[in-house]
Amino acid sequence: MSNVTSTPIDMNRTAAPATAPKRSRGPRLTGVVWLTWRQHRAAYWTILAGAAFSVLWMTIQRADLIDFLTIHGWPGELSADWVQGAGTYSAMFNKVGLGLGFIPLVLGVFLGAPLLAGDLESGTAKLVTSQTVSPNKWLAAKLGISTVVVVVCMTAISLVFGWWWAPVKDENNILDWTAGAAFDNTGLVPVALTLFTVVGGVAIGMVLRRTLLAMVVTFVFGVVVQVVWAMNRLNLGQVVTRTTDKGVDGSSFPKVPSGSLQLDQSYVTGAGDTLGTSTCVHAASKEARAVCLEKADIVGWSVDYLPMSQMSGMQWLGSSILLGMTAAVAGFIFIWTRKRLV
Amino acid sequence: MDLGGPPEESAIEAYGVSKRYRRGWALRECSFRLPAGRICGLVGPNGAGKTTLMAMAANLLEPTNGSLKVFGAAPESAEAGRRTAFLAQEKPLFRRFTVAETLRLGRELNPGWDQQAAESIVRAGDVPMHAKIGTLSGGQRTRVAFALAFGKRPDLLMLDEPMSDLDPLVRHELMGTLLAAAAERGTTVLMSSHMLSELGDVCDFLLVISTGGLRMAGDVDEILSAHMLLQGVDNAPGQGRNPSPEVPADLARHTVIEYRTSGRQASALIRPDGPVSDRWQSHTPHLEELLLSYLRCPDAPALISPGAQVPGRLHGSETEAA
Repeated sequence: MSNVTSTPIDMNRTAAPATAPKRSRGPRLTGVVWLTWRQHRAAYWTILAGAAFSVLWMTIQRADLIDFLTIHGWPGELSADWVQGAGTYSAMFNKVGLGLGFIPLVLGVFLGAPLLAGDLESGTAKLVTSQTVSPNKWLAAKLGISTVVVVVCMTAISLVFGWWWAPVKDENNILDWTAGAAFDNTGLVPVALTLFTVVGGVAIGMVLRRTLLAMVVTFVFGVVVQVVWAMNRLNLGQVVTRTTDKGVDGSSFPKVPSGSLQLDQSYVTGAGDTLGTSTCVHAASKEARAVCLEKADIVGWSVDYLPMSQMSGMQWLGSSILLGMTAAVAGFIFIWTRKRLV
Repeated sequence: MDLGGPPEESAIEAYGVSKRYRRGWALRECSFRLPAGRICGLVGPNGAGKTTLMAMAANLLEPTNGSLKVFGAAPESAEAGRRTAFLAQEKPLFRRFTVAETLRLGRELNPGWDQQAAESIVRAGDVPMHAKIGTLSGGQRTRVAFALAFGKRPDLLMLDEPMSDLDPLVRHELMGTLLAAAAERGTTVLMSSHMLSELGDVCDFLLVISTGGLRMAGDVDEILSAHMLLQGVDNAPGQGRNPSPEVPADLARHTVIEYRTSGRQASALIRPDGPVSDRWQSHTPHLEELLLSYLRCPDAPALISPGAQVPGRLHGSETEAA
């Protein structure tokens, strides 16, 4: 009996693969990597093609933008009237930015949710795990390859979007850096948001074990992620407060750096307290108002704002939080499947 | 009967294995051993726990209580995984893969893959290598699934209702392939089936489970010779068929599995304990008759033959070895 069990591996390896695949593009894949790529190749190729198309599209848009800017003196000082023709470019940034914002949701629903749910629903998970391969290895291949595809595509999109935007980055009226269209499509944020939604979708599919249901729930999950993220995006920054003591009339309002997002403005008293800007608004005359301001001891302005210099830091912080949660969900997937995969 | 310890290697040893789903117990306190090299039939009504038992041996499920060993190793060990192949009832395959790609899957994921064995099974059914699995008929798909299980060159091949969607001709051919391959390599085969008559031709070992418990386990010949089918005249005829007639007093000393009357005709399946009164005509039952009786009477005392027992386990009060 036991002599049968020790069939030499090499002998069987060389046992004529008479049905070898016709040809293979690129490196020859083996084992679970081959299986994962073969199983999901339609999805992976679609994602890669979509990313390539986006990159190409944005490259063309950038060329267009550069043509326009060059007419108005770019890369030197822009002529004063350049803003008049910039509306279409601003609209394009916002439109593309909005569109790219849907990528995490789309990939979560169409790549993440079915990744395990499909195999669990159709029973192919049983097929794979009853071969000589550990479930963990298979799972790692599935998550790993999907992660690589997502990271490659989203990094490319992020870099090209940032490159397109760079010439007009300081112009808040083209694209506001605090808006999702800019903040979520540059730096590490699009990579992290997409990874989190996709891995979340995988976990949802693994628990629910039904593809369609998992896709619906992942859609809801993705929307919630976007909403929570949008609501907390600005909390990632450190609000800067600038106060003045030159009164509150005329041109005494403090200058904040260009591109800053002004969050709040108020009067400040000699004692350092802030008062709403509606203070003394009911004064009948200019003199009465001056008396009123005097009486309230208002000495100047207090302005809260987020300078654009914080953008990168905020993106890193937010991305690390998202990636940390992604890692936690991935850990959950491995722990769950150790108990019960099929 | 050999009452000594089990001499051969065990393909499967189960120690008080139980499995509970949310609905309730699927399998309760199953203890048995399946000696290596046997062709074992796994019989039981629908929902008896056959699939659950196989899935646990194939490391697709974990027992709630108790433990299983496959060739002495835990089912989750790499060793056991390499030596077992499991063909699930629904025969899952990737629908968008071609037949050739499906076989490549076997080659990529199994170090001991036998491409020739797998290909010859596929070719015997004229299944085109470049057809997508999704376009194949049910029987062709089963054939490919079979090829995948065989190509792994397992030492323990578990087949869950393998023949249910095959025509009789193909069934016969695939069974022939199965038995030839098993005999050649000494493969242990565990297969569940509802086709009792065919099991009799194929199997030399039996496991019968019903309502979650093990009813019978052991060598087919041993099991058959331990039983006696009696026919005679009923002493107290009821009206027509009596579903639960009273067992005559002269049978009380034997273990009565089933006693049925039809008019004045009475028949009984017993495990004799001493001589039987000569008012009965006795003969050895066919396997199918025996199995039917056990399946009809789930309350009958279990029979675990010595060769099917694991050491250190209580096998019910009626154990033959006691």
